Amino acid sequence: MVMAVVAAAALRSSSTRLSRLLPGVCGEAWGHQARRGAVLRVLPFIPTQDPDVIKKMPEDFRAVYPEFLPGPKPEYRNRLREKLERQDMLARRSVMPIPEFYVGSIMAVTVADPNASGKNNRFVGICIQRGDAGLRAWFILRNVVDHQGVEIKYEMYSPLLQSIEVLRLEKRLDDELLYLRDALPIYSTFPLDMEPEVMQEGAPVPVNPIKVQLKPRPWHERWERKNLQGVMDLGLPERFYKKAKLHEKPWEKYDLMKEYRATIPEEEQADIFREISPHYPLMESTRRRGKRKRVLPSIS
Amino acid sequence: MALPKLQCITHALKNLSLLSHPDQRALVCVNQVRAMSRVKRRHTVPPFWLPKTTRTMYPEHMTPENEVFLKDVIEEKYSSPLKTECWERGTWAKNSMRCGLIGRKIGIYPMWTKDGTRLLTTLLQVSDNQVIKYIKPEDIVQGKRKRYRELGALVIGADHIDPRIVTKEYYSVFSEAGVMPKKKMSKFLITPNAKLSPGTPLYASHFQPGHYVDIAGITIDRGFQGVMKRWGFKGMPASHGVTKSHRRGGNIGSGGDKARVLLGTKMPGHMGRERRILRGLKVWRINTQHNVIWVHGPAVPGGVGSYVYIYDSVLPDHRHTQENHPPFPTCFQDEEEVEEELYDQELHTFREPSVQFVEK
Amino acid sequence: MNQAEIRKLIPAVRVAINAKHRKFSNPKGPEGRLTMLRKTVTELVKLERVELNYQRGDEARGYAERLIAMAIKHGDRHIPTMEMANYWLTEKQLVHKLFKVLAVRYKDHTESYTKLHKAPNIYPGFYRERVVLELKGNPFPPLEKKNSSHNWIHNILLEEAHQDYIRKKLKEGERSN
Repeated sequence: MVMAVVAAAALRSSSTRLSRLLPGVCGEAWGHQARRGAVLRVLPFIPTQDPDVIKKMPEDFRAVYPEFLPGPKPEYRNRLREKLERQDMLARRSVMPIPEFYVGSIMAVTVADPNASGKNNRFVGICIQRGDAGLRAWFILRNVVDHQGVEIKYEMYSPLLQSIEVLRLEKRLDDELLYLRDALPIYSTFPLDMEPEVMQEGAPVPVNPIKVQLKPRPWHERWERKNLQGVMDLGLPERFYKKAKLHEKPWEKYDLMKEYRATIPEEEQADIFREISPHYPLMESTRRRGKRKRVLPSIS
Repeated sequence: MALPKLQCITHALKNLSLLSHPDQRALVCVNQVRAMSRVKRRHTVPPFWLPKTTRTMYPEHMTPENEVFLKDVIEEKYSSPLKTECWERGTWAKNSMRCGLIGRKIGIYPMWTKDGTRLLTTLLQVSDNQVIKYIKPEDIVQGKRKRYRELGALVIGADHIDPRIVTKEYYSVFSEAGVMPKKKMSKFLITPNAKLSPGTPLYASHFQPGHYVDIAGITIDRGFQGVMKRWGFKGMPASHGVTKSHRRGGNIGSGGDKARVLLGTKMPGHMGRERRILRGLKVWRINTQHNVIWVHGPAVPGGVGSYVYIYDSVLPDHRHTQENHPPFPTCFQDEEEVEEELYDQELHTFREPSVQFVEK
Repeated sequence: MNQAEIRKLIPAVRVAINAKHRKFSNPKGPEGRLTMLRKTVTELVKLERVELNYQRGDEARGYAERLIAMAIKHGDRHIPTMEMANYWLTEKQLVHKLFKVLAVRYKDHTESYTKLHKAPNIYPGFYRERVVLELKGNPFPPLEKKNSSHNWIHNILLEEAHQDYIRKKLKEGERSN
């Protein structure tokens, strides 16, 4: 029975004492019905005894499979529920493999649609955003069809999805490409019958350094305040940038606890990897499907 | 003029209706309650007649070896086969009521049906449920409602507590049954044919996918809330001359004959932390290894980690019949073999191939 | 969106923390809050033992633990760590102390680097919970004395009971054999 490591003199609430003695809730925020103003205390994560567990985790695990990491909000967290969710995710992936993709990759998704001819609907688009953890994980594909911008949100683990293909695997300079809504349509247009491009096995994911040109204002958001890397010079009058500076929060990058509360710690990620590692080879084999080019060593 | 109703409050553990004979009750008049609007909703302390669960802890400075020894003794004591007498197991008859379970809400996640419809399911974990006591129909403290059938009660407990931190009074509740002290207890009314001997463990397989349950729980505490969130008032416009009344309640009376504010007028106040029952929730899936039940919808009262009380549904549409009744009086998982994962027929298990629509 | 940040890999903080940050409302706003916590962390690294109010001590503890963990993991050649240490430690010789003394001291620690003790509240006066926040391994005499309690009566009696228990088990084992 592993106990939460809490300094004896620092016990502030009786709930911490009880959780030391109740098996199965160690290391977990005790979410019993508390009064509204009551404080939720998050106990430290207790890693497994294996000292090499962090080293065994691949470097890119959290980038390729981000939805396996649970959502960081402690009010919704429960180890058992996360474990059951991961089991379901792995079961679904064994039936329909989900390839590696990033925001900026061009993908084709086929869904079962009772109203479509041939009962399947295929859509090609650029991934502009992906979000949520676990079985709720989704991504948005954008394309311009007949001069009309179309965005479709797909739930990755929905059984209606027949296949997800990555036509071009690449990253962009930003984590979210929502500014494509205000960019010239050419930047969001991709042919619906696009062929999958050659993907190098084992090569790092290329970063597309393209700088997108935005249409004149009004926009959906104040892009000058968002610190975007992937857009051309916005060409706005000086007052916009002055106002943007007032809204900047330069101290936030030094706020260590704010960034900690938004992340899952290293040891926990390694534990999650350890849990799913029996299924990892199967997932890796389907990670980069499509035309693959083997890079042969040169003889010279 | 109607006399004010007297509340009979039983005090001290031995008078608890859960456990005692009605003759031992002491009648004490505590409060004259004239209307529900006068009942205090926010209780920061438990009622005075409930026994203290945990004793006052002092630093004991016990050596680590002694701690280990005590843990071993406790494990040995409670892991030995229970001294439960094997009672006769009843069979299902029409209008039988069996006990429910005490679970904890552990989260919400989406599932899909075989035709692709997405639904949200709440996961409820049933951990260490055991029968503490059976109360015969003659010993039930009768409420004011006249009952037309004989009903006994089963006291079910959930989640162990270390016996060392528990008060003697509270411990005596469990010593008869020979079970480890429990954190949460609840009384479930049953027909006598559903009785179970004290110490019987209860598992999630007590319910089955495809059946319906009612869930009682305490809703999330939202604190002091205004009239818009609490009662759904529409408020007033943000501009167009409205002075200082954008989220207020507006008029509170009609004047004239009734020259007063009527009882029960909706006003701001404490919202949440109340017991509510949600009826007719379908059980979609059960995991017998971890004792988890997947129940329809995200609206189970309470936040993640709160306790809920799960009953068989009383709704007329979901009444049990001879053909489709669940294991009665419960599923004895230790004796029979149960599959690890049980799914409803309409549910898409993730191992099945993707949903496809066939061209007609 | 309830989605974890994946840009950085952060080691777990080994103390209990509140799910939400404490606001510490300040005329300068969130920046003033961080400035206040900076002062606390600097004092802690400089003096190794500080007495303050519980709320401030508990909040600063998280930041101190994270700073030390970063220093241990990345060392003093890593630019983001140096910038972070430069921000959090307002006296520059303390940056050297962090990397050269504290990181070395706590290199092989598996538990937390700080300890929070309850301190006597200041009486009379406005009631404030006081604590002493200290770095482990500091040169001062310990605040809490460890009671060697193996000579106490209840421990002696329990030991004897333990021996009896073992003897009983052995007898039962022999009998069954």
